[in-house]
Amino acid sequence: MEDNRQDVVLEVRDVTMKFNKYETGVNSLKELVVRAFKKNLKKRKFECLKGVSFDVHRGEAVALIGRNGAGKSTLLKIVSGILKPTSGYAKRYGRITPLLRLGAGFDGNATGLENIYLNAAILGYTKKEIDAKIPEIVEFSELGDFIYSPIKTYSSGMLARLGFSIAVSMDSEILLIDEILAVGDIAFNKKCHAKLAELQQKGLTFLIVSHGEAVKRYCKRAIWIDGGLVREDGDITTVFKHYTEAMTKKTAAPATAPAAPAAQPQAKPAAPAAADANKK
Amino acid sequence: MSKKTARLSQRMYLLRLLVKRNIKNQYYRSFIGVLWTVLNPLLNMIVMAFVFSALFGRHTDGLDYPIYILSGNIIFGIMRSSTSSSLGCLVGQSDMLQKTKVPIEIFPTANVFSALVTFGFSFIALLLVAGFRALPIFGGPYFYFSWKIVLIIIILPAVTVFSLGISYFLSALYVFFRDIKHIYGVILTLWTYLTPLFYSVEALKSELVSKAMVFNPMYHYVEGFRELLRGDIPQIMLSFSTTQPSILAMYGFAAVSLVLGWLFLKAMKNKIAANL
Repeated sequence: MEDNRQDVVLEVRDVTMKFNKYETGVNSLKELVVRAFKKNLKKRKFECLKGVSFDVHRGEAVALIGRNGAGKSTLLKIVSGILKPTSGYAKRYGRITPLLRLGAGFDGNATGLENIYLNAAILGYTKKEIDAKIPEIVEFSELGDFIYSPIKTYSSGMLARLGFSIAVSMDSEILLIDEILAVGDIAFNKKCHAKLAELQQKGLTFLIVSHGEAVKRYCKRAIWIDGGLVREDGDITTVFKHYTEAMTKKTAAPATAPAAPAAQPQAKPAAPAAADANKK
Repeated sequence: MSKKTARLSQRMYLLRLLVKRNIKNQYYRSFIGVLWTVLNPLLNMIVMAFVFSALFGRHTDGLDYPIYILSGNIIFGIMRSSTSSSLGCLVGQSDMLQKTKVPIEIFPTANVFSALVTFGFSFIALLLVAGFRALPIFGGPYFYFSWKIVLIIIILPAVTVFSLGISYFLSALYVFFRDIKHIYGVILTLWTYLTPLFYSVEALKSELVSKAMVFNPMYHYVEGFRELLRGDIPQIMLSFSTTQPSILAMYGFAAVSLVLGWLFLKAMKNKIAANL
């Protein structure tokens, strides 16, 4: 994998992430005080990622798999540069656009058009860049005149269309997708997949977090994160096979409910976008 | 270098969009829209003036009581609305902030600037009231315009920076402790009463209050603004013997607030990213 270095768009090297975690999530001052008095405020060093390294090349589509709590989300945050790893580094050569889950980051009172500007500006685009992309976004979303109505009047399908259209229309080098798409009706879904295929042709890099086999459609490579380590990195069919085997075999796995394997087999495109959060 | 300026102008653009959104949301779909920003303080003032004028009305050191109330409230309002809206601003954007690298301080900053815009509208309300009270009707004039009112541009940066610091601090803290929303609500109420908004320090006739008042940052902003309305200029130096607003105190508190808030936000940045 050390060939053609200038093709690398994402370089992750020895990324280690340690958290100082309270044993139970303390997220209120009251809880902190009460626990401090009861003296059961145990802090635990929690190593979420332990020396993760990989490269992603231009035009590659990589699936990131692993069971809930394996460190995928943390890894994604580090990859996008939001989180600084305890040691190691993640370098990006190009812009990352995340495909957010349904309606995330939208302001309900603002119109679709205003939301495009706001959303793209938060993603780091200038007014000029957004202006240039507006026709494309509006056209792709097929929202028509609804683009001038407040977002809160939109159906969830329309919201998803808008979000998707923004993400795929902005010129970025890396597209970050959390769980494979379930956008709009069948017709629009088809269009999305066609667009993604087109973007892939153009050399856009995908990083897809998924539990389902549907990612095989785009990805030839999968990285399996387990216990904060790269357990396997390679051809998607092989990795998925081993992953599925491990998940079904290991019933008494730590930190996993016995019924966990049921979570992954047939998560077709119809699966909810926020599948990462579901704890079956 | 040009890359840096490009990024800066992009941030300014984002900031402008966020402020616009905030202002729009504030009075979204209300019948008369943004006019509320002018009407709101006016109506508030009328109620307060009606309720308190008998109690405190005669001790405002030469300032007409309705103007006394209005001026205090709109200056205090900059701090109040910016800090309370900043509390949840990072958590509210968590979907976006989990996935996008964006300078998080831009969100509390936008809230402070929105509050400043609201202040601008309220200031119009104040001018209207002042104009009305300056007319020789109902036994008036009760108010005399002075050119020194334009010197408010000395006070505004200080109170803005002061609010920025608190906003940074609170937005970061709220990520970890969600219950500070309730605590801060109480603190804000207490702060409102500890600041001479509808009463005057002299009217209380308490040595202790007069001595302690100089430690209340909001006192300096509020009372400094009133000095200008009276046609005086607040003194530069801080004096502990007399209860007087001071420009040095205004900027001193502002600097301390900004530095502490900024450092806290910076120090917590990674933890915020992990916790959002």
